[in-house]
Amino acid sequence: MQHCTPEQLGLAALREPLPDADAAHLAGCEQCRAEVASLQRAVDALAVPQLAAPGASVAPPPGVWAAIAAATGVTAAPRPEVVAASAQASVAPAPPLAAAPRAVEAPAVEAPAVEDPVVEHPAAASGGSVLPFRPRRRPLLLVAAAAVAGAAIGAGAVAVLRDGGTEPIGREPVVDTVAAVALDPLADNDASGRASVIERTDGTRALEVELRAGDLDDRYYEVWLIDEAVQDMVSVGVARSGTVTFELPVGLDLGRFPIVDVSVEPVDGDPAHSGVSVARGVLDT
Amino acid sequence: MTGLLALRPGRMGSVGLVEPVPTQRVTAEPDDREVGRRFAAGEEQALAWAYERWAGQVHGMAVRAFGPGPDAEDVTQQTFMSAWTGRGGYNPDKGPLPAWLVGVCRHKIADTWAKRDRQRRETEAAMSEAQSMPAGPVTAGVDTAVADRVLLLDELDLLGQPQRGIIELAFFEDLTHAQIAVRTGLPLGTVKSHIRRTLERLRNRLEVDGAALHA
Repeated sequence: MQHCTPEQLGLAALREPLPDADAAHLAGCEQCRAEVASLQRAVDALAVPQLAAPGASVAPPPGVWAAIAAATGVTAAPRPEVVAASAQASVAPAPPLAAAPRAVEAPAVEAPAVEDPVVEHPAAASGGSVLPFRPRRRPLLLVAAAAVAGAAIGAGAVAVLRDGGTEPIGREPVVDTVAAVALDPLADNDASGRASVIERTDGTRALEVELRAGDLDDRYYEVWLIDEAVQDMVSVGVARSGTVTFELPVGLDLGRFPIVDVSVEPVDGDPAHSGVSVARGVLDT
Repeated sequence: MTGLLALRPGRMGSVGLVEPVPTQRVTAEPDDREVGRRFAAGEEQALAWAYERWAGQVHGMAVRAFGPGPDAEDVTQQTFMSAWTGRGGYNPDKGPLPAWLVGVCRHKIADTWAKRDRQRRETEAAMSEAQSMPAGPVTAGVDTAVADRVLLLDELDLLGQPQRGIIELAFFEDLTHAQIAVRTGLPLGTVKSHIRRTLERLRNRLEVDGAALHA
């Protein structure tokens, strides 16, 4: 019998779901299970909520600095109002921490219930400078039949578009959905939806975004394609709740910009991303 | 629709860099990187700035672990004191200061758990002695997870990059290997094999030193 690869067993120790075949094998294989268990001791010891990336900020009482100053002899002093303000500034609910599902019992510790922890700048803890991604374990991938985009496939996709209430694309009627991904809400937003990349027989492409999100008063939704480093991005256009289809620039490499991001933008004339993202998905192209 | 992160002004079209504290600072104050560099250089004002900016995060972790009170305050105090006296161990080119402070804080939390566990065992030993019972070895009843954490955090400190960053994202931010690949820009296969090798390395550390500890 084919055992799971060492890498798969490592992921299993982290309690990531495995592909069906591996999961089935693991369930019945003593040897693989023992391997996972031996790797899991470290996971269970360290992946506990008490050691997780910083959550809610709490300003320490003044005595803490006094003790530090006394012990170190440092005479420069932090401004108490700034210390207090830095803790209060944490208004952004941040996703990545959440209730660690693989928490093991912590010893003799009464952790206060921090149900919806707050991270001021989660990037700081990881050493990266990126927006937080909510854990999301099931990217949805739809790749249409690889067959030549014949009339049958094209007709089907058009029907889907029409059902979704899309605006007519107005070029070649024959289209093919080459990739699709669920847009999951970020932080505590309730925006969600779905993005599909449509390729027409003439080679032009469009991004169809079906967005379920609340209406905005003096702001608007904007759709972006962002690279994996979350550094560079392409604005795709203005969206609204419902389904909107955007033309994609010819030659745009979706492999380079796989992240579909929906942001909320103020009407301020600044073309840059506001930094406020409400939903995201990663295209598997 | 909460404001997630403030963008650093002047980087049009980028959400890559974030300002930790979205309030306006006096322009004379250095940015976080500069604070990190001056901290490493031993400039006292940098300790005060670091405290202004990140004591809330550190104390938040301590409070999450121990609840508000003396234990949490002690952890926060120890974190900044150790960070200052051990600043030679911080390399500003290798990562931001707040991330390093968070790492120091994890050690202090684990140390506090270990101290409590030791006190518990000593109390039990003293009680059995007072009752003229044969005193077992003091190591009896040691809490394995508590001891493991101290060892494992030490081992994490010895990891190079990107191994350390990868396993920390998995352990402390609960990211899947696919999300870690996106976050770090590394190929999936690379992330998977680093995870595997790091878990093996941690297992070895527990088998070697952990066994001795409990002997």
